[in-house]
Amino acid sequence: MNAPFRDAHVGFGAIHRRVIFFGLVALFVLQTGMTWTLSTDVDDPDAHFSTAAYRGRALYQAFNCTACHQLYGLGGYMGPDLTNVTSDPDKGRAFAKGLILHGTTRMPALGLTDTQADDIVAYLEAVAATGTYPVRSLDLTPWGTYTQMTHAQE
Amino acid sequence: MHRSEGLAARGFLVFALGALVCGALFGVIGSWQHVIPGVVDAVPFVKSRPLHVSLVVAWIFMAAIGGIYHYLPQIAGVPLHAPRLVWVHLVLFMLTGLAVITSYFMGRFGGREYWEFPPVLGIPIVIGWLLLLYNFFATVRGRQGPWPAYLWMWATGLVFFLFTYLEAHLWLIQRTGDNAVRDLTVQWKAYGALTGSWNMLVYGTSMVVMERISGNARPARSRAAFLLYALGFTNLLFGWAHHIYPVPSATWLRMLAYGISMTEWIVLARIIHQWRATMDAAHSGPRSMSHRFLFASEVWVLLNLALALLISIPAINLFTHGTHITVAHAMGSTIGINTTILFASVCFIANGHATRTMRIGFALFNGALALFWLSLIGAGAVKGWYTVMTDLPFQTIMQQLRPFLIGFAVSGFGVFAGLMVLTGLALRRLNAREEKVVVSPERSKGSAEVRISPVSLDEGPM
Ligand code: HEC
Ligand code: HEM
Repeated sequence: MNAPFRDAHVGFGAIHRRVIFFGLVALFVLQTGMTWTLSTDVDDPDAHFSTAAYRGRALYQAFNCTACHQLYGLGGYMGPDLTNVTSDPDKGRAFAKGLILHGTTRMPALGLTDTQADDIVAYLEAVAATGTYPVRSLDLTPWGTYTQMTHAQE
Repeated sequence: MHRSEGLAARGFLVFALGALVCGALFGVIGSWQHVIPGVVDAVPFVKSRPLHVSLVVAWIFMAAIGGIYHYLPQIAGVPLHAPRLVWVHLVLFMLTGLAVITSYFMGRFGGREYWEFPPVLGIPIVIGWLLLLYNFFATVRGRQGPWPAYLWMWATGLVFFLFTYLEAHLWLIQRTGDNAVRDLTVQWKAYGALTGSWNMLVYGTSMVVMERISGNARPARSRAAFLLYALGFTNLLFGWAHHIYPVPSATWLRMLAYGISMTEWIVLARIIHQWRATMDAAHSGPRSMSHRFLFASEVWVLLNLALALLISIPAINLFTHGTHITVAHAMGSTIGINTTILFASVCFIANGHATRTMRIGFALFNGALALFWLSLIGAGAVKGWYTVMTDLPFQTIMQQLRPFLIGFAVSGFGVFAGLMVLTGLALRRLNAREEKVVVSPERSKGSAEVRISPVSLDEGPM
């Protein structure tokens, strides 16, 4: 039974494999560098994290808001997406702060202080300045993409 | 293989199974919290979700690692380079796991999705991983000849996990001038490769188990195996941006991901093309539990790959992103594929022949999982449709999903019960070590692995 456990020599040699492997890794390194630096075209100054927004981001993580909420559709599914909650004309800053402080029947009040709520709102405002989610239109292309994917929306 | 390192490898498997049981329990709690808000007050959703996700991810990693420590000496033909480090790794992992669970229960978070615990606890995880990397490469160095595909997969998974884990923590040092888009993009770049890495570990394990069961070394050295590996690797490296199509990051990143993701149709076509042979193989000859699990994993690969390909098309993703279809994809793959393959491996190591109870557990697990998966897809389809096509408020949309969420929570009980039966039996077999090499005539009828028992593989020059 040991006999079959020999390395079968198949047309595709170990050298080729290594060339392809390291070629892919090199491209990956390039892509990584570009992602870290160039991955965003967002130029709205409001989108840049202020000191308060950085604190807000840390609080968003410390209170684990992501267990129930999404940003751009990424996160847990119990609560609504928060990408544009502060810029939504029907909701806005004060509404968001009120919910964060007091919760609802479905969202627990997590015991944040007033300043902590302000910091989180600053973070959410910086998020809202980067774009719109969800995309609510059906401008599909024959390539399986949609127009808003490649053109910033207003 | 040395007895002691074998024991440590089994230690990983035992704790992995423990993590699975606890993790699945928190999943059940979480699913009912969607249906009955506030139920199980002691562990609110803000805690049950991270407990669930971190524990089940720990199951996948620990079961894969236990398998690597177990099979590696047999594959390399030499003992593990540093058997004691396996113990160090195990103890380090267990203590960290305990600290993570404690911090969740105390409501101390601070990390991000998947790793929501305070980031300092990542340090022992990285140290443990470095020990594994060292042991892996120092051991395979002793092996002669070109590597079979599964060694490439393991090596890739091991190295890239470390990289992505570190990358997922870059936010710790990025403290100025950033914006949410780059933040999310870098984060999901790391996560895309993260799941790719654990898939490498798991698929590598699947190939090893298959080789061990069949006694046929060819497939893992074939051209097809390397092509599949290359495709998987390319997707790991460049396919991650399909998770963030709606995020307004640089367009080329997302278009690249779209193009790369579509190469997986090749894999799907190949699976369908070979389906006849897969079915024939499944229906012929004696079948052990490992066989059954591997066959089930192929069915789940087919279903989940088809789903993954569809939701990687941006026009479809528009409707499915941020809905329960993503959860169906996540759990369909982690349960249906990863967990099933890892059970095949655990059963192989534990020499698990198919008892009646095990077969019932297996059927329950797969049947319930099918309903679970379909409920999530139904919930996601409804949510996606209403979200994109209407302006209805969130709670109104969630009301429409309710029947599906109830179906999800009810079938979750079934998945949990099936997992309990399988885990209980696997733990029993893992503990009954002495029996492992005893080959009784009636057992060999039900179990193909007896033909190439682990003992003879231990001795064979590879
Ligand atoms: C246990 C789950 C849970 C957690 C944790 C949670 N939320 Fe919520 N949140 C909800 C739910 C559910 C709603 C919808 C409330 C409703 O409709 O009654 C909501 C609503 C909101 C809203 C209003 C959104 C809208 O569009 O109407 C904001 C803002 C918000 N949450 C912010 C936060 C922040 C910030 C945190 C972290 C400090 C947080 N939430 C933690 C569940 C949660
Ligand atoms: C026993 C039955 C299980 C139940 C009832 C269950 C339930 C859940 C629930 C409620 C969520 C959170 C979804 C949300 O945010 O709203 C979840 C997420 C998740 N579960 Fe499970 N689960 C089960 C088993 C498992 C197993 C065994 C695994 C893997 C081995 C797993 C992997 C995951 C993953 C990876 C996520 C994250 C999904 C995402 O964020 O997209 N689950 N599960």
